[in-house]
Amino acid sequence: MSELISRRGLLAGSALLLASTALPAIGRAQTPKKGGRLIVAADSEPRNLNPAIVASNGVFFISSKVVETLAEASFDGKDGLQPRLALSWEGAADGLSVTFKLRDGVKWHDGKPFSSADVAFSALQIWKPLQNLGRTVFKDLVAVDTPDELTAVFKFAKPTPFQLIRNALPALTSVVPKHVYENGKIEENPANNAPVGTGPFKFAEYKAGQYYRLARNDDYWGKEEPYLDEIIYQVLPDRTSAAAALEAEEIQLAAFSAVPLADLDRISKVPGLKVVTKGYEGLTYQLVVEINHRRKELADLKVRQAIAHAIDKDFVVKTIFLGYAATATGPVPKNDPQFYTAEVPTYAFDVAKANALLDEAGYKRADDGRRFALKLLPAPYFNETKQFGDYLRQALAAIGIDAQIVNNDSAAHIKAVYTDHAFDLAVGPPVFRGDPAISTTILVQSGIPDGVPFSNQGGYKNADLDALIAKASETLDTATRTGLYKEFQKKVAADLPLINVAEWSFISVARDTVGNIANNPRWAVSNWADTYLES
Amino acid sequence: MTRALILLRRRLVGSIFVLLIVVIGSFLLLEAAPGDAVDAYIVSTGGDAGMIELLRHRWGLDQSELTRLANYLWALLHLDLGQSVTFSRPIREIILERLPTTLILMGSATALSFGLGSALGIYAGARPGSFRDRLLSIGSLALYAVPGFWLGLVLIVVFAVDLRWLPIGGIETIASGKTGLARAADIATHLVLPVSALGFIYLALYLRMMRAGMAEAWRQDFVLAARARGLPRRRIVLAHVARNALLPLVTMLGLQSAQMLGGSVVIESVFAVPGLGRLAQEAVAGRDTLLLLGIILVSAVLVIGINLLVDLAYAFLDPRVGASEAGV
Amino acid sequence: MRQLRRFFRTPETVAGAAILVLLVAMALAAPLLFPRDPQAIAGPALLPPFQDWSLPLGTDRLGRDVLAELFHGARTSLAVGLAAAAAALLIGAAVGTLAGFAGGVIDEVLMRVTDAFQTVPSFLLALAFVSIVGPSLGVVVAAIALGAWTGPARVARAEVLSICERDYVAGARVIGMHPLEIAFREVLPNALPPVLALSSVIVAAAILTEAALSFLGLGDPNRVTWGDMIAEGRAVLRTAPYLSIFPGIALVLTVLGVYLAGEGVVESTAVRRSLS
Repeated sequence: MSELISRRGLLAGSALLLASTALPAIGRAQTPKKGGRLIVAADSEPRNLNPAIVASNGVFFISSKVVETLAEASFDGKDGLQPRLALSWEGAADGLSVTFKLRDGVKWHDGKPFSSADVAFSALQIWKPLQNLGRTVFKDLVAVDTPDELTAVFKFAKPTPFQLIRNALPALTSVVPKHVYENGKIEENPANNAPVGTGPFKFAEYKAGQYYRLARNDDYWGKEEPYLDEIIYQVLPDRTSAAAALEAEEIQLAAFSAVPLADLDRISKVPGLKVVTKGYEGLTYQLVVEINHRRKELADLKVRQAIAHAIDKDFVVKTIFLGYAATATGPVPKNDPQFYTAEVPTYAFDVAKANALLDEAGYKRADDGRRFALKLLPAPYFNETKQFGDYLRQALAAIGIDAQIVNNDSAAHIKAVYTDHAFDLAVGPPVFRGDPAISTTILVQSGIPDGVPFSNQGGYKNADLDALIAKASETLDTATRTGLYKEFQKKVAADLPLINVAEWSFISVARDTVGNIANNPRWAVSNWADTYLES
Repeated sequence: MTRALILLRRRLVGSIFVLLIVVIGSFLLLEAAPGDAVDAYIVSTGGDAGMIELLRHRWGLDQSELTRLANYLWALLHLDLGQSVTFSRPIREIILERLPTTLILMGSATALSFGLGSALGIYAGARPGSFRDRLLSIGSLALYAVPGFWLGLVLIVVFAVDLRWLPIGGIETIASGKTGLARAADIATHLVLPVSALGFIYLALYLRMMRAGMAEAWRQDFVLAARARGLPRRRIVLAHVARNALLPLVTMLGLQSAQMLGGSVVIESVFAVPGLGRLAQEAVAGRDTLLLLGIILVSAVLVIGINLLVDLAYAFLDPRVGASEAGV
Repeated sequence: MRQLRRFFRTPETVAGAAILVLLVAMALAAPLLFPRDPQAIAGPALLPPFQDWSLPLGTDRLGRDVLAELFHGARTSLAVGLAAAAAALLIGAAVGTLAGFAGGVIDEVLMRVTDAFQTVPSFLLALAFVSIVGPSLGVVVAAIALGAWTGPARVARAEVLSICERDYVAGARVIGMHPLEIAFREVLPNALPPVLALSSVIVAAAILTEAALSFLGLGDPNRVTWGDMIAEGRAVLRTAPYLSIFPGIALVLTVLGVYLAGEGVVESTAVRRSLS
């Protein structure tokens, strides 16, 4: 229960705000209706829709309804999980194997039966060699034994923490059919653009630039499910059009904050629409100031501390995120039920102290009031990262640091920061994926080759921290491993290889008629089998 | 008509050079961009060094620029536009899919701005310097000065959200299963707002050109003669003054056809119209060099074609033009 | 003197000139009236206009003073417009003069290049150029000029061709002046007026292009521009429409002013030319 409260605590401010509008609509117990077409806003068109190859929210948003994973995240299930294609999972004490019992009577959309061979094929041929995240998590996977049709035993070359595998299940284990993929190159398989899976919806149609259409899978294993006949993703590239489309009743749901935060207050008052902040607890984004430690000024801890003190995190949460976020203390978000610790060094907003630290570090103000100049690169992917860039420039000006913003489009930003290291400070939005080992430790770990996105490309090197990360990655005992990651948070907050400013998730806006939304922590990217429409 | 044929041949030869410059120039420009298609792609996925190398190899980005340019030009000789890395489909297919939408949008917008613009221009130019002349000139200029995206958003709020007369965007009702006339009507209602937003911007251009031309024509001898002969004013306006002022507008039409595609980038994005303008923006963002080249090439061919038609029409209407060009 | 009187003959040109004078005054006064960085956070976010008289036009999403941004925006917008027009006219006049004067292969090559630039939508070119080089004020100016020089080039060439037929050019040849000297000292100055007539159109188009680039997130983030203000304001178009309406009005007035005043200049010089 305490987990639930802490998760909800993340959005405490906004939950209050929304209590009057959103919660009654969700709380209403009702028998789901069958049928209907749900029209949803989509802001991008992923080039590859195979979630086994591309584990990203943009792909999941559409294809998680078609292709299922072994397990899904859950608010109240054991270890925060609920079964999907796997009914149970058990790790061996030596950390060298994990056994999955699979669901019986599941059929692929083309009518062929699902079996453990499909799991083995997906794991060995796709997750491990091809998947963006699986290449890290499953790097030591050497074999998948299939003693029978419904049992898959993952074998690892090196002890692999069961906790990590468990935490990776919702995002990394999309199972695709072996018989569709076994011939020819997997990357060029046409099913990557028209996925075949076991999910509640079949991929029906894609009109580039217009829409994706998913149709009900009549042979779905879930009883009575799915309720909807169709899901349509209408492509709306301009961010302001989703709100208009909702109001004009042309769409019924806009997920992933497709409606700008600044418009939520107004739209929550429109009759027939509800603003929902739940359903993204498992998809937390972190607002981070990335630091290039090759700059001599920034290699000085005092300067980094000064910058941390110069940032008014409350202002960021209140003004940039309009309350739909939480201030951050370190590299693990507050709403994580397993790893988060609040016992880390913190940096209160204190401009005088920041100035004193800079003076101490030997960077006195020149006659024009400036100490030194910096190049600041805000990531262009979110409105909020850009706005924070504007804010940070002003916050730094207050302590005598002259930051010049360099505005790039996405491709140029990735190249500038992660390959060319042509930045002093950057604003990035890394994702916390339920376990620090999946995509968080690489933000500070040293020895990562140039060009790896969303990793430590700031030239930071700390042997202690590296050793800690290495030890945690091979620690099998859950409690010990969790303890090590708490230590990790302390060390990061103390040495500031990067500065964590805030944590946020997304907001959905839906018509009141859409039922059973936001009922798991990854709802927007889950399978929507129980989502329904009141007529 | 041999004069027209000579003009045609001359133009075609010139066009090939123009296209070659366009292709090579665009290719070099895009290759100079920081970040390639893989960088654009990993924004949404992340990935380790091995995966990135794999992608670069698979998409042929590990070859030298010169090799790729040569390959592209060679394929182009066979009318092959290549494969898009962001869509993993043949570029010709993608462009052909979007071309009709763009042609309808730009054609309608051009018709609107040209038709309404020259009509209002005639109305204004019939009495140069009058109150209505000034009002129309300034009103159309003000419309021209409103950024297209802003005009689009306001139109959406008023006509799609508040009044609910028209759909907010897209090219047709999604998966409606409509065919024939019903579908055409559906597409037409979807186009009203984007066409208005795009057309109203360029309205001022034709309106002001028309009235300027007419103001000039009123001072010409043949008009003075016509007035002296006591012809009815309406007839003088239409048959003499306006007709004379129309020719430069036709030239403008040709020149403007290229600019419309640029203007539609923003409008297509605001109204979620799946056309070439938006595709071009996506190609730039995705560093999809070949796709952008394909789009630019197709639009260049279009523009050259339109201008050729304009010139032929001109040569037909005004014999002096063709003669001087063909004579060089 | 007569020309000046002619210029102020119509109320439109007077209005146009008045707007321009006001704008220039705004641009010049900006650093005096609002010495602080206009992007500095000055108050609570999204303060509506006419509430707090220290922030008369209210504040934007981050709490920046809209009036200060408007004044400083006038500087950038005018700078972008003028610089882009100057660059476009300079390139255009040079290319046009060279092509028209040299003739032959040089003419052919230069005009095909001009064709090529005219064939590619100039906004698309600007979009690609700015995404590639990265948005800063200079790059935005260059990108706009890149798409705008073809008009002046064509006009200059046509003008040069007609001037070359005239006596004083032949005279210059006879006394043995270097061809390039003839081109740029004798021919170009005489070909310039009709080329300059295009400048108001280019200035107006440049200001609008900058706005559209900002809409797509390709403006200079270290400067305030009206286009960027409108683009930022569109996210709150329904809740805080004033954020896009104020800079919108400023933009419309500027473009009108430039256009009307420009037209006045063209007409008064055109009359003079036809008289001479």
